[in-house]
Amino acid sequence: MRGIYKIYPPEVLALENVDWSLKKGEVHSIVGENGAGKSTLMKILSGLIKPSSGKIFIKDCHVIFSAPYQAMKMGIGMVHQEFMLIPSFKVYENVILGSEKDLSKFGGLLDKRKAKSIIKSLSEAYGFEIDINAAASDISVAAQQKVEILKQMFRKVEIVIMDEPTAVLTPQEIEELFGRLRKLKEMGKTIVFISHKLDEVLEISDRITVMRKGKKVDTILNKDITKNVLANMMVGRDVIFRVNKPFKTPGKAVLEVDNITVNSIKRKTLGPVRFNVYEGEILGLAGIEGNGQFELVEALIGAMALSSGKISVKGIDVTNIAIRDRRKYIGFVSEDRKYTGLALKGSIKENLIMTHHIKNEMHNLPFTINWNKGEIFAQRLIKDFSIVCRSISEQCISLSGGNQQKVVVAREFTLNTPFLLLDQPARGLDVGTIEFIHKKILDMREHGIAILLISADLDELFNLSDRLMVMREGKITGILDPSETTKEDLGAYMLGVKENV
Amino acid sequence: MSRFRKFIVGILGLIVGLILSILIVKMQGKSPLEVYKALFGYSLGSLLSIISTLNAATPLILTGLSAAMAWDAGAINLGQPGQFLIGAITAALLGIYLPFPVWISIPLILIGAAAAGALWSGLAAFFRQKYNMDEFVSTLMLNFIAEYFTTYLVTYPFLDPKAYVASTTAIRKAFTLATPDQFNKGIYLAVLVAIFTWWIVKRWGIGYEWHMIGLNQRFAAVGGCKTERDYSLAMLYSGALSGLAGGILILGGTQHRFMKGIGGNFGWDGVMLAMIANNDVIMTVIFAFFFGALKAGGIGMEFDTSVPSEFILVIEAIIVISVVATRATIDLYGGKLKALVKTRRVVKNS
Repeated sequence: MRGIYKIYPPEVLALENVDWSLKKGEVHSIVGENGAGKSTLMKILSGLIKPSSGKIFIKDCHVIFSAPYQAMKMGIGMVHQEFMLIPSFKVYENVILGSEKDLSKFGGLLDKRKAKSIIKSLSEAYGFEIDINAAASDISVAAQQKVEILKQMFRKVEIVIMDEPTAVLTPQEIEELFGRLRKLKEMGKTIVFISHKLDEVLEISDRITVMRKGKKVDTILNKDITKNVLANMMVGRDVIFRVNKPFKTPGKAVLEVDNITVNSIKRKTLGPVRFNVYEGEILGLAGIEGNGQFELVEALIGAMALSSGKISVKGIDVTNIAIRDRRKYIGFVSEDRKYTGLALKGSIKENLIMTHHIKNEMHNLPFTINWNKGEIFAQRLIKDFSIVCRSISEQCISLSGGNQQKVVVAREFTLNTPFLLLDQPARGLDVGTIEFIHKKILDMREHGIAILLISADLDELFNLSDRLMVMREGKITGILDPSETTKEDLGAYMLGVKENV
Repeated sequence: MSRFRKFIVGILGLIVGLILSILIVKMQGKSPLEVYKALFGYSLGSLLSIISTLNAATPLILTGLSAAMAWDAGAINLGQPGQFLIGAITAALLGIYLPFPVWISIPLILIGAAAAGALWSGLAAFFRQKYNMDEFVSTLMLNFIAEYFTTYLVTYPFLDPKAYVASTTAIRKAFTLATPDQFNKGIYLAVLVAIFTWWIVKRWGIGYEWHMIGLNQRFAAVGGCKTERDYSLAMLYSGALSGLAGGILILGGTQHRFMKGIGGNFGWDGVMLAMIANNDVIMTVIFAFFFGALKAGGIGMEFDTSVPSEFILVIEAIIVISVVATRATIDLYGGKLKALVKTRRVVKNS
């Protein structure tokens, strides 16, 4: 690929003069922060989008792709971050979809038996243990990913592009995936691996390309390089993976959760759960997703009613008060910024004053909003949290993921609440933004705020928490001291092998 | 998009719509020039035409705002026609039977009309809060009920036996808001209400909450907005606007009574206005005047040329489609064009 440019309408420069090459039979990783252009570059290679300028050569042959099937013909296939499967279709049906013409018999009828046998032998050849007759919606995420890879193999693809394949997998599944990728490599396939998890990249790749802000920084051989070197290339400066956390003796209890339970028809129930979060303390909550974290968050924030128990903040019973009144005491960063954290089509200004708009200082008359103050406030937050945007009237949807999250964090951290509920505050963000948000969280701790941090990222939990709490099947199964616990140990608690409560 | 750009896009869409209408007129074998001359002459050509334009615009301002402000708040009120009729019948009956002096009766009639419209939309809001019924469906269905209910009222209990069509008797002469040359003074009220609505939507806390709920209800709820109260108030205010439109038409219109079919298309036109204006208050008012001109011109057009005034409905529909399509097209191709220009610049520089 030579001199590739991509400008998304209206004027977003996603790629700038990128030259990039791929050798047969290698595992080539592309790393970079969110918005560095990794996915865009690969979408161009796989024919999904057209470059604004630049040329692609395959074996010295100039090619122009205007649709993915053309790239497919040249042996290039992509496994996308969001899987492209039809849930109600069976596995083998999903695999043949789009190339079913090659399998027709009697001039139009689909030869299902032939399809199944081909796919079965393919799946055995690559060591995929998968039931090809199961519906796509019934199999696990890891299995769905196998189907996606199978799809590529069925189309006799030589170059497989995997866009952040590990983002949806558990540690064990990641190991399995790597085994499969190595096997593909042995069989002569070329693999492109897009990721921002540096450990994984260092483990699997032969060569690594680092991208930053739409430009290629360099392509290097995976030899004698460290995580820090890579991170430095990615961000353009040194990145601190371990945060320095001054010791602090926790103060009085701020959040008191007293034996709460939630019974709902649809989901697993919660509780009884009992814990406190203290002034100036970060309590980390670990647990495999779907073990009651969702219910706990909804219950704390007031979106789900308790069946029993009591929640109080600073001694004030908030169990039965409306969300509006609760928000005087609770700041909340939701795990999904798109549907809960932000109104994406609203302006930055409108998003920043949410919840603040209830406070008296934002009003002229009791029922009107003082937009002058609102704008000054928004400008201040943009500066304090270094949110990169064109103006406060810009829609949030046009911001990068990291900046969107900064809008959420800026809003919630300035509410002056004694307690902060942080649900995956750094998920899916790039290294630089994570570092920034972690620093802000520690600042809040310094100010004596009580913080409950829910995270699936064990590094984040160990780095930030003063205490660790493990939740399993709606109950608290462990309280641990992060300085005396290993990751493996925590994993054992999360899986239910160990308990100490 | 800046308001200026919105306005330009709207005007462009209008021009496209008018050009398409020319083609249709041409296909019918009529002269577009004559049609447009008549349209213009009878909408803005004389004082009398201007009055009839303003008169037609008066209810449109209110029904348009009714749709625009509700949709902006995420309340899909499509019951403008029904709320309009219920407001109108209430005003007509109060106008016949209220025994009080004028200075107290007229406000009472208008408040009554607005309250009746709010009651009608409030029914839908109640169904939604209580039984989780979509207001999109219930407001639509309530339109039919309103239509046949009011028809029943003017056909049986309140029928004026001397009238040619099913209608009530005329309201007391003193209550009329029309000047001797038929100018509906209700437009002052409509404009005042429009300004007040703008103030609420743009400057009040509830206006902010409405807009946020319309964009993302869960976000607003978690952020502490009173989503249920806000929803109910949006529905009530929206219904009141439509009801008031009906009331003003009775007091200031030419009939001074409720006749079967009196609402004409005012309710649905309001829906179209909100679509063209993209739920923006100021744009809704501007387009209401434009639609008013079309309506007034259409009646004249029928006199002068043999093109039926229903053709105005065709033009309106074409304009709605072309404005909405132009908006989308400009966004799409404008963006692509900008990208192309920037690519040229960036590639050249490196």
